[in-house]
Amino acid sequence: MGRYVIRRLLQALLTLGLVLFLMHWLMALSVQVRGNPARLFFGDRTPNAAALAQVEAMYNLDDSCYDRIGDPCVMPFVERLQAYAAGDFGTTLRGNRDVGELLAISIPNTLRLFAFSIITLVVLAMVFGSWAARHRGRLQDHAVRGGTILVDSVPVFLIMLIYTSLIAVPLTRWVRGIFGDEAAIGQLFRPTYDVDYPWMTIIIPGLLLGTAGLASMTRLVRASQLENYHADFVRTAHAKGLSRSRVARVHIVRNSLIPVVTAIGYNFAFILTGAVVTEGIVQIPGMGQLLWNALLTTEVSIVITSFVIIAVVVLAVNLLVDLLYAVLDPRIRYA
Amino acid sequence: MTNMRIRVVGDTLPGVDPNRPLLEVDDLHVEFRLRGVRIPAVRGASFKLELGRTLAIVGESGSGKSVTSQAVMGILDTPPARITRGEVRLQGVDLLALDEETRRSVRANHIAMVFQDALSALNPVWSVGFQIGELFRVHRGLSRAEAKTRAVELLDLVGIPDAKNRVGHYPHQFSGGMRQRVMIAMALALDPEILIADEPTTALDVTVQAQIMRLLKDIQNDRNMGLILITHDLGVVADVADDVAVMYAGEVVERAGIRDAFKRPAHPYTKALLRAIPRVDTIGQALEVIRGLPPNPASLPSGCPFHPRCFAAEDQCAEAVPPWLEPASGHGSRCHFAEEVYADER
Repeated sequence: MGRYVIRRLLQALLTLGLVLFLMHWLMALSVQVRGNPARLFFGDRTPNAAALAQVEAMYNLDDSCYDRIGDPCVMPFVERLQAYAAGDFGTTLRGNRDVGELLAISIPNTLRLFAFSIITLVVLAMVFGSWAARHRGRLQDHAVRGGTILVDSVPVFLIMLIYTSLIAVPLTRWVRGIFGDEAAIGQLFRPTYDVDYPWMTIIIPGLLLGTAGLASMTRLVRASQLENYHADFVRTAHAKGLSRSRVARVHIVRNSLIPVVTAIGYNFAFILTGAVVTEGIVQIPGMGQLLWNALLTTEVSIVITSFVIIAVVVLAVNLLVDLLYAVLDPRIRYA
Repeated sequence: MTNMRIRVVGDTLPGVDPNRPLLEVDDLHVEFRLRGVRIPAVRGASFKLELGRTLAIVGESGSGKSVTSQAVMGILDTPPARITRGEVRLQGVDLLALDEETRRSVRANHIAMVFQDALSALNPVWSVGFQIGELFRVHRGLSRAEAKTRAVELLDLVGIPDAKNRVGHYPHQFSGGMRQRVMIAMALALDPEILIADEPTTALDVTVQAQIMRLLKDIQNDRNMGLILITHDLGVVADVADDVAVMYAGEVVERAGIRDAFKRPAHPYTKALLRAIPRVDTIGQALEVIRGLPPNPASLPSGCPFHPRCFAAEDQCAEAVPPWLEPASGHGSRCHFAEEVYADER
């Protein structure tokens, strides 16, 4: 087990290093090919050499490697890593704001959104998938499969728009009518995010975002459970005189979790794209919005740091998935 | 007999009569329904098992022997399988008529089963200790720790060295023979009166086969259990069984004491099976085989299902279903010419 964990950790670190380096190289290439971004600072004016050098130094663009096309710019890469390690993520071109501070606001919001949507996805898929598997080929099975496809085929942003513009306001009014204007529960159905209620106002958007990918996840749960329903060890479990529900819980669901855990890893990246739209509609100041705006306004520091964070998150989730494998399947643990 | 234990089934299963045979299977019919087509898998299996005795059920694959044992256990997949007729009586109580919960308590408590391939029959994600202990926790309400202690005792009983450490290991960490011992330990956990072993040694190599058979036999003697041994290998059966029931195309075609069946088979199929066993005194000669293939249960031959492959078949075999004849007491055969085959005239 220990060796397995260490091997996976090292693999993750290596991948992270590669991703960071690739991203840095791409950026260096874009500087080398498209020209010095420091000139942007001066707009239409042609800067004198001294002023240009000053700006280049300010944004760490003064290394001579940026003049040679294809040069991986190793020294600036090392400097960047050192800066990251020291918690310095650079500043924005406009407004000179600290990127680290912006991230400190955005990341928790996105994490909350993710937590709610992943929980929703897993719970719904497990419940519906198990139910469909148990009633295979019957009405319940078809209803689950049809229903999840229906939900999945409506784009998340449409669901989100319908919710915010049609359902949220009457629901809020109704809830406040019962619990009073000041009750925290009244915030639950707010159509937009509220800084004062960072948890309450993210629950519903998270829930709705969790329906993205529901159909495939439910089918996966159903299929992997069905595979086990006729397994030899399930027959043994019945021969042991265990109740149907115990056989299902201990011997079927438990064994069918491994492919499901894998899929959760994949879906994480999938939900990430949904988060950009969701955060936009519900006005959650999260990573999705930050990145989207940064791309529109070419805020290089934010874009690069965001990609790094996304890479770290995806790697961390995959590492977690690998470790969960080992927990779930002793054959991996002792391999 | 000093090691004879007195067993009382009635403690947990009301209505049993200790004077009745331990297990009686009477005219059992099982069919499978696949896409609206009914396929008979078992067409009238009858046999009896007493405490301390070993019954071998012998047959080719597809002869219905495994389906019969699963019907006795009550673990058939229903649907597609369905028991259409017959009774399975445990000391007089018809198991097929019991409600689901009582039926469940019979499994493992009174009738337990050892499966063929222990690697796939054990759950790969739980330790063997958990899988054995589960029986005590569910049926006896023991705590996790108590159940583990019992699991260690059982592993010890079936001859797994270093049981205390092995109890936390997973099925894939055991060798084939040791895994089969784990299966046996699991089957013995609740001290059942009947043990059904479905091809318990098929997946093992020959030396381990002998050890496992020995183990089953020893435990049966110690515990005075009834043992049903399902196999396609008459050779395995010879030393250990008391009685034999030969199945072909879903029915029992011959039933006899093991010596009688080997010495004087009363059904041509049994006779052909015995001839097909390789023997030392026939080294160098071509092995006799039974020509043809086992019949497709969906379209059985008319009359006697064995007649297309039978060396003794005559015209009437294709027309009339043979009756159950008893050329000697306790020795029955479903063949028109049972008497003649028994007398070795055919």
